[in-house]
Amino acid sequence: MFFFTYLARELRRRLRQTVFIALGLAVGVGLVLTVTAASAGVRNAQAGVLKGLYGVGTDVTVSGPAPSAQAPGGAQGGGGNRVQIGMGPNGAQMCVNGKCRTLKDGYTIDALASTSYSPISATDVAKVAALRGVTAAAGGLLLTDNQTTISSNPSPPTSFTVDGADIGHPKLGPLSEAAVSSGRAFTAADADKDVALVDKGYAASNGLKVGGTMKIGGVPFTIIGLVGQPAGSGPPNVYIPLARAQAVAKKGPAGGSLKNDVNTIYVTAASAADIPAVQAEIAKLLPAAQVTTPSSLASQVTGSLTSAARLADDLGKWLSVLVLIAAFAVAVLLTMGAVARRVREFGTLKALGWRGRRIIAQVMGESLAVGVIGAAVGVGLGFAGAVVINAIAPALSATLTEATGLHIMTPNGAVNPTTSHTVSVPLTASVGGTAIVAAVGLALAGGLLAGAFGSWRIGRLRPADALAKVG
Amino acid sequence: MYELSGVSKVYRAGARTVEALSGVDLTVADGEWLAIRGRTGHGKSTLLNLLGGLDRPTAGRVRLDGLDLGRLGDAELTRVRAHAIGFVFQTFNLVPTLSAAENVEAALIPLRVAGAAQRRRRVAAALDSVGLADRAAHLPAELSGGQQQRVAIARALVKEPKVLLADEPTGNLDEDTRDEIIALVEKLWRERGLTLVIVSHDGAIARRAQRAAVMSRGRLTIR
Repeated sequence: MFFFTYLARELRRRLRQTVFIALGLAVGVGLVLTVTAASAGVRNAQAGVLKGLYGVGTDVTVSGPAPSAQAPGGAQGGGGNRVQIGMGPNGAQMCVNGKCRTLKDGYTIDALASTSYSPISATDVAKVAALRGVTAAAGGLLLTDNQTTISSNPSPPTSFTVDGADIGHPKLGPLSEAAVSSGRAFTAADADKDVALVDKGYAASNGLKVGGTMKIGGVPFTIIGLVGQPAGSGPPNVYIPLARAQAVAKKGPAGGSLKNDVNTIYVTAASAADIPAVQAEIAKLLPAAQVTTPSSLASQVTGSLTSAARLADDLGKWLSVLVLIAAFAVAVLLTMGAVARRVREFGTLKALGWRGRRIIAQVMGESLAVGVIGAAVGVGLGFAGAVVINAIAPALSATLTEATGLHIMTPNGAVNPTTSHTVSVPLTASVGGTAIVAAVGLALAGGLLAGAFGSWRIGRLRPADALAKVG
Repeated sequence: MYELSGVSKVYRAGARTVEALSGVDLTVADGEWLAIRGRTGHGKSTLLNLLGGLDRPTAGRVRLDGLDLGRLGDAELTRVRAHAIGFVFQTFNLVPTLSAAENVEAALIPLRVAGAAQRRRRVAAALDSVGLADRAAHLPAELSGGQQQRVAIARALVKEPKVLLADEPTGNLDEDTRDEIIALVEKLWRERGLTLVIVSHDGAIARRAQRAAVMSRGRLTIR
């Protein structure tokens, strides 16, 4: 009881100093919490984008290697066909392996192809599923539907992304995150039907509705439902059953069939700790494939989201460290100053028979109490910082760019179209429990550090010297 | 009983040495009142520090009831100070944030007196013995110099020590208050059978003591 009475009275006596040290620690803690909250928000936004791409349950993604470089002036299909679109003596013409035919004005080339990834045999999906540490694996086809209309007044080609989804594994792949907003989801009976689910945002901007049809790879598909993905996830535009995707899509613009092929395998590991081993095993099994985890995929995202992540990781982290160091230094210096001013008091207590340990405990208790106050105020500042970030931070953008694989000759030269999805990602900074525990620990450490320096001085204090200084 | 033999104390400041005490021999019997006079800087306070176990001699022995204070470990010396020796200082040395009662209670902390009620009772009795029962809740800043010194005396005596050491206890007081404090100390000395050593340049104190000694250039002369 005497300990706490003495402690409280001393803190009150040095109220200005107590408030100053506590505020210093609080600002440090608050900044750490705010930066951590912002980082967590950016991480969550990144995770949201990646989840939308590869599904919430996916730990490892296996993609076929990027198609080999194309010879100038033509598109190399995955099946080895050489396609060239250009101007002939009778107008526009398309040449496949040197055999050319004239294209009528208004002719539309509608090619659903695996332009970004080379195919992987569907039998490899089962091999991956059998690996140790793998709980589930599903194949998928990430495709691009390119539509180019031949015209005397050429317009840019249009494209949309198509996901050939394995209906038997609804919890893996991009469709796993989707929620049906109208119509219905796929059922097992849809596996061989020309039916499609359309992203509701894409449907709205292209006038597509449930019950309507759209051409995919030149084949009319019935739209059975519209789906929504979490904000900022950059989902595919259209989903069709994997079997139909394999039947309709080509390996390249004029390539061979993708029947019995996939170009992506979504893998769930038994635990987070198994991911590196699973990644290594798959790389051994499919040496040509790209084996990626969500963390490595994050590097493929560009835009202000990545800038924010870099800002939070680099500037935010170092700013927090600097403020904390400054707060600690101020706390240490002020505590040492306070101890120096109380030399007579401590000398007197030693003369009364107080052990050095007891006096040190008193000083440490005072410093710890300041740390607790700093931690409490700092946590409040951290929450306030997160609220301010959420209120004023602009929405971040995440851009995912993929090559379509086309190489088109136009009268104005060669065009290598790419598809990119730029999505707006809301930044939601939130203060987590672990961050609070760590921040409180930091504040208490700051208090204890300050107390330790003060105590070091007390430990060396001889009572006669302490009393002589005032005598 | 104090027995000092051949006690010297040398302070070193870089290459310079200052001999504060030189070959001091002294015996103070139990229950005796010894006054030590002398000019400032001649070693009075140094001697008192050695008697109180606040410092150690460079040479010689300082024995209290047979215990060689200069050779005791820090923990043992602290225990001796806590139980057997009470100090009164010229500048009172009260903790400014603690009330009179809490300042007195501070002396009981090392004794680990069990029970808050017992501690309160002893504190109240100590304050009553110095005539400050009604000032228990006052902070030092709310008390006069004389009252602060009374609190300091209560703090020194609350643990019922065998020895009371006072360093210029009236040095910061006016003449009337000085007489009150001397009278109080004398009364408590008689009532409690204390061994009392007072260091002072005040002739009034020396005249009331049983024995007086003079410190000059580190040497002690008994009168």
